Amino acid sequence: MLFWAMALRNLGRNPRRSLLAGSVIVIGFSAFALAGGFMAQTFEALRESTIRGGTGHLQFADPATFTGIEETTLEHGLTEAGRAARVLAADSRVRAVLPRIDFVGLVTNGGRSVPFLGVGLEPAAERRWMEGASLIVSGRWLAGDSRGEVVLGAGLASALGIRPGDSVTLLATSPEGTLNAQDAVVAGILDLGLKELNDRYLATSIDLASRLLGVSGTLSKLVVVLDGSAEANQALTRLSRRLRRNGFNLAGRTWEELAPFYRQVRLLYLGIFGFMGIILAVVVLLATANTMIMAVAERTREVGTLRALGTRPGLVMRTFFAEGVLLALVGAGAGLVLSLIVTVSLNHSGIMLPPPPGAAHPIPIHVKVYALAYFAGGGAMLASVLLASWLPARRAARMPIVDALAHV
Amino acid sequence: MDAAVLEGRRLTRTYRLGSTRVEALAGVDVDVRRGEILALQGPSGSGKTTLINLLGLLDGADGGEVLLDGRPVPHQDENLLADLRRDRFGFVFQTFNLVPVLTAAENVEVPMALQGTSAVRRRSRARELLDRVGIGGKAEIRPDLLSGGQRQRVAIARALANDPEIILADEPTANLDSATAREILDLLGGLAQERRVALVLATHDPAVVERAGRVVTLRDGRVAGRRG
Repeated sequence: MLFWAMALRNLGRNPRRSLLAGSVIVIGFSAFALAGGFMAQTFEALRESTIRGGTGHLQFADPATFTGIEETTLEHGLTEAGRAARVLAADSRVRAVLPRIDFVGLVTNGGRSVPFLGVGLEPAAERRWMEGASLIVSGRWLAGDSRGEVVLGAGLASALGIRPGDSVTLLATSPEGTLNAQDAVVAGILDLGLKELNDRYLATSIDLASRLLGVSGTLSKLVVVLDGSAEANQALTRLSRRLRRNGFNLAGRTWEELAPFYRQVRLLYLGIFGFMGIILAVVVLLATANTMIMAVAERTREVGTLRALGTRPGLVMRTFFAEGVLLALVGAGAGLVLSLIVTVSLNHSGIMLPPPPGAAHPIPIHVKVYALAYFAGGGAMLASVLLASWLPARRAARMPIVDALAHV
Repeated sequence: MDAAVLEGRRLTRTYRLGSTRVEALAGVDVDVRRGEILALQGPSGSGKTTLINLLGLLDGADGGEVLLDGRPVPHQDENLLADLRRDRFGFVFQTFNLVPVLTAAENVEVPMALQGTSAVRRRSRARELLDRVGIGGKAEIRPDLLSGGQRQRVAIARALANDPEIILADEPTANLDSATAREILDLLGGLAQERRVALVLATHDPAVVERAGRVVTLRDGRVAGRRG
């Protein structure tokens, strides 16, 4: 305890230098905590938008769907999809099973034809579990299965020059290769946030998509919504087993496997922030190393005295380490307070960030209080300070006593 | 006569100053007996401090050996040497060498803390020792607010903290005025006799030499004379 008291008081011996080193730790810790919080918030938002944007937590389809390209629409379609959906829905962690038909075609307003990427879905279920309905910027979401309605991406609607209430004709090829057409009414226009999607997206009911493709009861895939994204991998294993037991040979994928964009953004952010983190740790290391080197140099004779009185070399090292630990703890404590203040201020600032990669709209800045980032920040600061203290402390411990005592 | 508690046999120590080799000690024999006051005298550079350093296990000899209770002290194990210094020696330095961030009492506590003595016991013993050296009222004062004489009294109390058998004092009065020096010598001498501690003083102060039971005179790293 006496040596901890000594370490604490030694920090106060040169307050300006300790304050400077402490400030670097405060800034370093805060940068870790805030960057970590921002990153966590971004990942969470991206994950939610991926899942709620239509991917769901899991998707089940014919194995060939995930490994190859369909030559014709619904080439690998699910014919017993209704029964498979009931098997999946029987699992206690499954909140919803959403049927989907993926197809391509042309949409025309009579004068102009534009290709689209279509999806057939259950409007009411999608409204409840997915965020498509909330992206409507004009008109409304699809009203029901049998109304013959479509919703379009804003870019596609603009290319056709149509508005909600206008009529369009959809043209698509059936699995047998015949060209079918269906009339539909534009219920609403969506802004999906991604230009490429806005220019091609078209959604309609399963009913209209089936009529257009000339099929009945055949689906492209089943989208599963779970009660939590965290256990998607476990759920995939469990549900795949359940399907196999019921005679289905379906392949499943988690939302993360189906979202290369999420993985790329995550890797990019981890790379950028990881690099920044290393630079920060080096800055902290250099700043505290300077403090510790100066401390050892100034206290050379004192070290000699302590060694003469019977202090073991290891304890001399630990005394300097203790100073580093105290500096890191005080710095991290102040950094924690600063981080919380900055977090609250930023979250209430209304500052808009430029659109993230792939997005079309600016997003408001939001930093999450992410405990792991705080621990990581504290750990990084402590590790940097200990590393910075190690060489000077070792030098102090190994100094010949008579040289240290004679030091002026 | 008491047996020697500490002995130096044929001690040699050479320093290298650039390309020059300086022979600080050249085969010095000395023994220290329990309860005696031994003065090491000689001019500057005669080897007094080097001999104190070797006897106090602060430095290793190039030749010869140091014996404690008749047994040679191995010089390789730093931890063992630290423990021996802590348990069997007390040191008083010319420049006091107190830890500036600790109070007088805490400075006295340091050797006891190294020994693992409990905080309560340390505190009461530090008070008792500071009372004994006459500055009980200064226990909570930091060294920079004490006079030279008071600082040396704290250093003496610290040297006695672990009940050592030997106190090594290198020019303990050199930084003090003559009146204070006399008081410090009286105190050191009195305490050494009272506690039967061997007191080894390196000095060129005739007043110190006068009080010693035995005197070893060094010149150019060799024993030039012995008295007593």
